Amino acid sequence: MSVILLLIPLSLVVAAGFLGAFFWAVRSGQYEDTVTPSMRLLTEEPKSSTRSLSKDEKPLR
Amino acid sequence: MKIDTFRYDNRIVRAFSIATVIWAIVGFSAGLLAACELFWPGLNAGLQYVTFGRLRPLHTNAVIFAFVGNGMFAGIYYSLQRLCKARLFCDGVSWFHFWGWNAIIVAAAITLPLGFTTSKEYAELEWPIDIAIAVVWVAFAINVFGTIWKRREKHLYVAIWFYIATVLTVAVLHIGNSIEMPAGILKSYPVYAGVQDALVQWWYGHNAVAFFLTTPFLGLMYYFLPKAANRPVFSYRLSIIHFWSLIFIYIWAGPHHLLYTALPDWAQSLGMVFSVMLVAPSWGGMLNGLLTLRGAWDKVRQDPVLKFMVVAVTAYGMATLEGPLLSIKSVNALSHYTDWTIAHVHTGALGWNGFLIFSMLYWLFPRLWNTRLYSLKLANWHFWLGLLGIMFYAIPMYWAGVTQGLMWKEFTPDGFLRYPNFLETVLQLVPMYRLRAVGGTLYLVGSCIGAYNLYRTAKSGVFEGDTEVQAAPLSEDTHAPATGHRWLESKAGLLTVLAVIAVLIGGLVEIVPLYLIRSNVPTIASVKPYTPLEVLGRDLYIREGCVGCHSQMIRPFRSETERYGDYSKAGEFVFDHPFLWGSKRTGPDLHRVGGKYPDAWHYNHMENPSSMSPGSIMPAYPWMLTQKLDIPSLPARLRALRKVGVPYPEGYERDAALKDLKAQAAKIVANLQFNSITNVAPDTEIVGLIAYLQRLGTDIKTAPTTAAVAETSNP
Amino acid sequence: MTFAVPAIHCVACVWLLEQVFRFGEGVGSSTVDFAQKRVSIRFDPRRTTLARVAGLLDSLGYAPDLRLSDLDRTSVPAVSRRLWLQLGVAGFAFGNTMLFSLPGYFGLDAFSGPAFRNLFGILSLLLSLPVVTWSAADYWRAAWVGLKHRRLSLEVPIAAGILALFGQSVVEVVTGSGEGYFDSLAGLLFFLLTGRVFQQKAFGRLTFDRDYRSFFPLSVLRLSSDPAGLEREERVGLDRLEVGNRLRIRNGELIPADARLVGGEALIDYSFVTGESEPVRRHIGELLYAGGSQTAGAIEIEITKPVSQCYLTSLWNQEAFRKDRDDTADSITNRYSVRFTWTILALAVGAVAFWGWRDPSRAIPAFVGILIVACPCALALAAPYTLGTALRVLGRRGIFLRNTQVLESLAEVDAVVFDKTGTLTTAQGGEVVFRGAPLAISEWTAIRSVVAQSSHPLSRRLAEASPVEASGTARVEGFREVLGLGVEGRVDGNRWVLGSVRWLHQNGIEDLPETGETGSVLVACNGIHRGTFVVSNSLRGEVGKLVSDLRSSHELSLLSGDNNRERWRFRTVFGDSATLAFDRTPIQKLEFIQDRQNSGRTVMMVGDGLNDSGALRQSDVGVAVVERIGAFSPASDVILEATRLPRLAEVLRFSRTTVALVRASFVISTLYNVVGLSIAASGRLSPVVCAILMPLSSVTVVAFAVGSVEWRGRRAGLGPALGKGGGHP
Repeated sequence: MSVILLLIPLSLVVAAGFLGAFFWAVRSGQYEDTVTPSMRLLTEEPKSSTRSLSKDEKPLR
Repeated sequence: MKIDTFRYDNRIVRAFSIATVIWAIVGFSAGLLAACELFWPGLNAGLQYVTFGRLRPLHTNAVIFAFVGNGMFAGIYYSLQRLCKARLFCDGVSWFHFWGWNAIIVAAAITLPLGFTTSKEYAELEWPIDIAIAVVWVAFAINVFGTIWKRREKHLYVAIWFYIATVLTVAVLHIGNSIEMPAGILKSYPVYAGVQDALVQWWYGHNAVAFFLTTPFLGLMYYFLPKAANRPVFSYRLSIIHFWSLIFIYIWAGPHHLLYTALPDWAQSLGMVFSVMLVAPSWGGMLNGLLTLRGAWDKVRQDPVLKFMVVAVTAYGMATLEGPLLSIKSVNALSHYTDWTIAHVHTGALGWNGFLIFSMLYWLFPRLWNTRLYSLKLANWHFWLGLLGIMFYAIPMYWAGVTQGLMWKEFTPDGFLRYPNFLETVLQLVPMYRLRAVGGTLYLVGSCIGAYNLYRTAKSGVFEGDTEVQAAPLSEDTHAPATGHRWLESKAGLLTVLAVIAVLIGGLVEIVPLYLIRSNVPTIASVKPYTPLEVLGRDLYIREGCVGCHSQMIRPFRSETERYGDYSKAGEFVFDHPFLWGSKRTGPDLHRVGGKYPDAWHYNHMENPSSMSPGSIMPAYPWMLTQKLDIPSLPARLRALRKVGVPYPEGYERDAALKDLKAQAAKIVANLQFNSITNVAPDTEIVGLIAYLQRLGTDIKTAPTTAAVAETSNP
Repeated sequence: MTFAVPAIHCVACVWLLEQVFRFGEGVGSSTVDFAQKRVSIRFDPRRTTLARVAGLLDSLGYAPDLRLSDLDRTSVPAVSRRLWLQLGVAGFAFGNTMLFSLPGYFGLDAFSGPAFRNLFGILSLLLSLPVVTWSAADYWRAAWVGLKHRRLSLEVPIAAGILALFGQSVVEVVTGSGEGYFDSLAGLLFFLLTGRVFQQKAFGRLTFDRDYRSFFPLSVLRLSSDPAGLEREERVGLDRLEVGNRLRIRNGELIPADARLVGGEALIDYSFVTGESEPVRRHIGELLYAGGSQTAGAIEIEITKPVSQCYLTSLWNQEAFRKDRDDTADSITNRYSVRFTWTILALAVGAVAFWGWRDPSRAIPAFVGILIVACPCALALAAPYTLGTALRVLGRRGIFLRNTQVLESLAEVDAVVFDKTGTLTTAQGGEVVFRGAPLAISEWTAIRSVVAQSSHPLSRRLAEASPVEASGTARVEGFREVLGLGVEGRVDGNRWVLGSVRWLHQNGIEDLPETGETGSVLVACNGIHRGTFVVSNSLRGEVGKLVSDLRSSHELSLLSGDNNRERWRFRTVFGDSATLAFDRTPIQKLEFIQDRQNSGRTVMMVGDGLNDSGALRQSDVGVAVVERIGAFSPASDVILEATRLPRLAEVLRFSRTTVALVRASFVISTLYNVVGLSIAASGRLSPVVCAILMPLSSVTVVAFAVGSVEWRGRRAGLGPALGKGGGHP
């Protein structure tokens, strides 16, 4: 049972690390705009010859 | 203004993707083989390397680390580069990661059938491979954090946060659970024992589920689902909230795997409450995913990528609801050790992880090879076969689990067990095992079709090794939120926090284990360490993977104490390195098997289980009757055990140990001869195993009872 | 430079605008903010200019709206970062301390007992430290300020509760007598802070935020001499202005910084700053102050003091605009909290006295328990969530309130005063007919140039109605406008006068026909009546219905600066009991309202914010009806889109409902307090009770507040919600 004395503080420390990450994120303005990132995700395709399977296109078979 | 031209690395994604497909087939096949062995015990054709006990860890490692692992890396490497608008930090590290990880898998595929295992679930690989895992994981971390550092997109999309959580937490978990003392090149004992080991194992085990099977896939979902549906996430804000709330409180998990065991009541309740609490953040993810598709359901009907994704997200929702349900004490009392747990695992694994990976691969392959998917029809076949497979898997297993659980608990009106014969409950389930194998076959066939489809897709296209892209680098002031003094301040705060954490971790890791080892005062005075012969026997038990079918933890229920004997006390396990409580009873619990049957019974039973238990699905272990005990390794084992806190006297392993072993072995040989089993050399493996089995659970009795009467009664 | 780009509407826009670095020399990375419809573009000023970048955007189809564009890249977020961090810490501590306290609630058994209890207690204490010191910081400060000014604001009992919780818990853990109340403490702060986040979000609504800033010029015309000695005009951002710069400020534009008048006729309306609507004439050499707006023709000024953006943006909600009723001590929450606090103190003292006599060992636990459980948490959440939700419900339907105080005032309104022109009637879309010999293009051009200097609706209508060929702008000299009367100016030596009959008379033009129609704008050129524009003014739709809705419950009045030619029309609409008054000057309007207030009425004034800012400010609630959310008077408390005017009756009803709901939330939170206090007063409060009661009460109150307001909002007949910005491709 005594291993809990290790596990809980250890887990807490890991969680605290993430709290620190939360601090960094808020302070560096990561969450100022919570709408555009989800749209930006859809825009990345570079103008190469990559084509995606569009609704109208039929696959080869 | 400077504009960078750079390239995304697609080769590494290709490598991981192909590995994923290959290991899928391997892993699923191993699973299918294992499943078939449960209704066809002779399927291993007498080969010790592929008995169920040795095959199960191979299956779990193949599907988790090989299939899910490679799939995760493929997806993360693809999406991370594009989300960061930067190439992976270092190509050399990428390839080291790829070859290293797959070498580890190959090592697993070799060592596990050979019986080199720790027996700890999802951590079976022995210590050299554990070290390799840590090293390769560090490489992965370097690549991930390095790429983030080099990024040209200021905002860290939520998927990246999930990846970060995965990388950091898995590292801590793996290292924490793998602290073991080597006793040979491929043998080690964990520093924890008994209850401690159980706790650590399931702290690791459950969090491994969380941070290896869930968080990275939530991240992948947040990337690939919107991409495939071409719509933004339903609520980005919700994804941020559910990520942080998940990560702030996901620190303490695990006890729900140990309900009604020798864990204190409050710890069990804590685990239960915590698990229930987790529904909220988990479902945040599921709802977000499904709601993203609102208004696009017609697309889902036509696009296999979306079809797989929808089932995956739904399966995730089901599994994350079922999990907390199973952690409620009253439910758990019925479900623990039954196939219900198996059903739960596979809903998540086949549905969430499997289908999400397939969805991702179907999306990725055409893009990487600049072509269209080879066949929509084949993809649909894969989908439906897979879905049917999941159902044929889960439903029989639910039925089996509930049936067996209820049968174990049933009493006659007179107050006796209705099914005192464990085997009776098993035989009821065999038809379900057959059905489950059908499910597995369907799933495997579907995957083979998928593999073929992907292969033809690749063949029909031209692979784009690198994708060239242009983007402006981040300006200086977006790296730091402010200038001068305030920059330093903000950095300093973060650095301080990290430094404190590092120090704390270091301190804890060093100090506490020492404290633990010294404080392992047995609360039951009569509990003694295992004798040398029993140590070897126990290690054989571990080698053969007996823990995969037999538990060693009797719960404080009357149905169990009637069937097996006095319920298990925490103090009895203080010298168990590793603990062998088990999580499934395909066979009966063995914690109090010591003294129940004569040595001869065990001999015959191991030679051919059906001879002692007609209809048994346990495979035969004839090689144990001829192979020799590894006596030369005994000193090393004892030394290692002493180092982790088992109080063998100093120098015991030099001479005294061998003397004790020979004496105990001789007694067993005598017992066997008494029962007309002759020509058994005292240094055969079976002798060691018998010694161990006869020891089990006898410590709390005043004197061990070795029934000399030849009883061939059924259990 | 951050540009406002109203044309942003889809994902492709995001992609294109973030690729602009490909299209322009010297253009760097760009970031789109979709919700706010802005794009921040970095560019190298050595290789390109602001104008070129703006032109680039224009050519791509994303013309920037410079009026709304911002100079600093970081816009002020609705919710401060500090608050998010405080909330994060509280949430982190809440989740974890809750887990740590569970073993205690489930009963640590002897096998594992004391060591773990100590561990959990200490860990909880450590986790609570940042919560008490940092997350709660604003409450300590507010309570201190409140006490210093002898005002029992809500923060006082909150601070007392926190102190009691923390103190008691520390004592318990240190002496090993219990687990403490750390989970309740963290939970308390967590819920309180979510309330504040909600508040800040409700008030800092994005569109409103943008709109009020749009009142300020963020770029102005700066004059300079080029090497050839010719005068050059360039549009520059406010942050580039320096002392000594010369600016051209046109009619209707704001003076951006303290400056000296160097040219033109200055007639400054300082209503924005002082509330005085009567424009002030200034002469060359005299000082003009930032915030005033020019109401005559264009002037030239020279900056004497640097631009202070803070000053400009703080004019909204500043002291000068606070109405007497704005005093926070009087708000419904604070009234309740004062009573609440005294009750609690009395109860606590009473409990000590009682137990001191009966069973002294329970005295202190009872005292502390009462302070702990008398959680004004729910109380503190009730009003913000109810009122805040109401604000959002209204805001979504194009009805913007300055703050929650306004909602409370709206609930008390019993008299409504309407302005006529521009409020009940609209010139928009009205037909423009010219009575007289047809105008030549040059004449149209001249007329158009003159009226373009003015922002009066009639002037705008005339400018819109001018034919395409007359779209050039001629130079106007000697422009003059008197609001409500007319304009005049000289073009190419010709003196043009446009306006009402009285205006033309004042300007020495005789021989005018009797027009008999409202909406007439007489035109005279060089002293001779040239013709008359008739702009049809229509009564806004459903005004009749609105008036009849209000008639039964409110005293109605109509005040107009216009003549009474249309009296009959309005009498029909308003009925016999309403007061109709015409030809009223702005001062007279203000006095009328004062008079009604002196008779004990709570008056709501509905105007267009152009020439009645004094009256708007005087009234208990000033409602500005605007055609387009773009220009309004800061003296108003409510801004209403013109299309929403017919819903005014429902808005009043909704406010009354909301205030009733606030009271209902108070009742709910009081019930919890009663339960908790009875347990506490008996000296038997335990952490587990606390841990259950507090979150439960908070969640219930919040859910009730938000749910009931949203539900009533839907059924209040306030009209359909405005669509959210941006759609899917």
